[in-house]
Amino acid sequence: MTNFIDYLLGGFSNGAVIALMALALVLVWRSTRMVNFAQVGQAMFTTYVALTIQQSTGNWLLALVVAIGAGAILGVIVFFLVIRPVKNSDSTGAIIATFGVLIALQAGAGMIWGGDPQGFIPPVDNAGLEFAGRIWPISLYDILVLSATAALVIGLTLLFTKTSLGLSMRASAFNPEVARLSGVRVNRMLISGWAIAGATGAIGGVLIAPASTISPNSFDILLVFAFTAAVIGGLDSLIGAVTFGIGTGLVISLVSGYSDSGNAPIVALVLLALNLLLKPDGVFGHHGARSV
Amino acid sequence: MLETVDLCVSFGAVKALSGMNLTVPRGEVTAVIGANGAGKSTLMRALAGLVTPQSGQVLFDGRSIAGNKPEDIVRNGLALVPEGRSTIPELTVEENLRLGGLWRDRSDRGASKNLVFDLFPILGDRASMRADTLSGGERQQLAIGRALMSDPKCLLLDEPSLGLAPLIVTQILELVSRLAKETNLAVLLVEQNAVTALRVATTGVVLNLGEVVKSGPAHEISSDEELRHAYLGY
Repeated sequence: MTNFIDYLLGGFSNGAVIALMALALVLVWRSTRMVNFAQVGQAMFTTYVALTIQQSTGNWLLALVVAIGAGAILGVIVFFLVIRPVKNSDSTGAIIATFGVLIALQAGAGMIWGGDPQGFIPPVDNAGLEFAGRIWPISLYDILVLSATAALVIGLTLLFTKTSLGLSMRASAFNPEVARLSGVRVNRMLISGWAIAGATGAIGGVLIAPASTISPNSFDILLVFAFTAAVIGGLDSLIGAVTFGIGTGLVISLVSGYSDSGNAPIVALVLLALNLLLKPDGVFGHHGARSV
Repeated sequence: MLETVDLCVSFGAVKALSGMNLTVPRGEVTAVIGANGAGKSTLMRALAGLVTPQSGQVLFDGRSIAGNKPEDIVRNGLALVPEGRSTIPELTVEENLRLGGLWRDRSDRGASKNLVFDLFPILGDRASMRADTLSGGERQQLAIGRALMSDPKCLLLDEPSLGLAPLIVTQILELVSRLAKETNLAVLLVEQNAVTALRVATTGVVLNLGEVVKSGPAHEISSDEELRHAYLGY
């Protein structure tokens, strides 16, 4: 039982980062009705940018802020360079193109920063906290990750529900024609969606980096988990992405604890397949939301 | 207020509008009637900027707007209520309305919202409910309300009677007609349902296969039996 509780607690922080990546996928889906497989590549790239800043200045917060800005800019660049020209012809083509961007980003990062895994020093202690006479599998850093994720989710929810920008973005996603007829500059809203998604992914990347190491391919597995979480959550639901992102983190932690961490991606894919068989609209999705 | 000169729109080899001339004055309702496929919706979509005309001009307030983007056209005061109760079901009634005038000053928006709530009190009662909980007639009121939130000088209504009970259509159109007179608004109404449309309109225009076959005072058109048999099918 102690093991179970430890595995569960250990999964929250990882789950929060999966939730952020899933959120980024959902934000792109909401704006252009497609999955951006380059999302983790963009996050990997901006995490390297953050690493460079941190190594030269030692300032973690500055590194995070620069990564957020770089993530937003990279999101816009990907939208303009690849997605926009391809999208006019065929959305399947655009999705394939995002794989191309992913590979290009990985190759680019390898050329700039090299292929060797590098460590990312956390801003606060990443060792398990001691409390009530034992060491728990949650560190001060995990608490920082969870709080940052919670703040971001609340911020995004407020943005979408309370602001004019959020209303315009939602209207553009639900019905671009009616949005345009209402005077909304829909194209700008799509770009904003990609920028916000890029920034969200960048935060996820910087937050997860200290938990392991960073290399051009180190986030690939995160894509599997984030995609699973986003799809099970219904692909267009922010709350769905967060719930199942954290849920996926907990499942991974349990699977890794009781068997082997190599089994975690297989379990994720099984969950994904079960979801598509049993509830194809996702748990938080409404009917037809995922049809293109 | 709104004028088209030799307006032509084609889709590939198909000519949807061939040389359409039309004038929509302020303070009254102008009704364009005609059977399915006469080019009515194409006309509306061309005026609102959703399709680009091949040739001809659209003059609004003396300026040429053909080929402009829809989001700019509505900001200049020409608002379209498209066919099929074009509300966004996932948003609340209040959000649908707010969407109609997001680029405007908050105080101007508030004034328009009060006007819409006066015109369609049911929208005020249902403000916080999702649009998909409304009845068909209420959704049509919401769609018109959203267009009014942009404080238009000219309102385009595409087939508002579609799928609604005749009594509700008459009520809504009479409100719009009164609004046109009271606020000097130009209204262009496109309808398959000629009887209802001509009842509220001052001028009637009969459209057939992309061409104007007749235009004149609405009462003359509705009493022209030959015209009715030939183009309107009743």
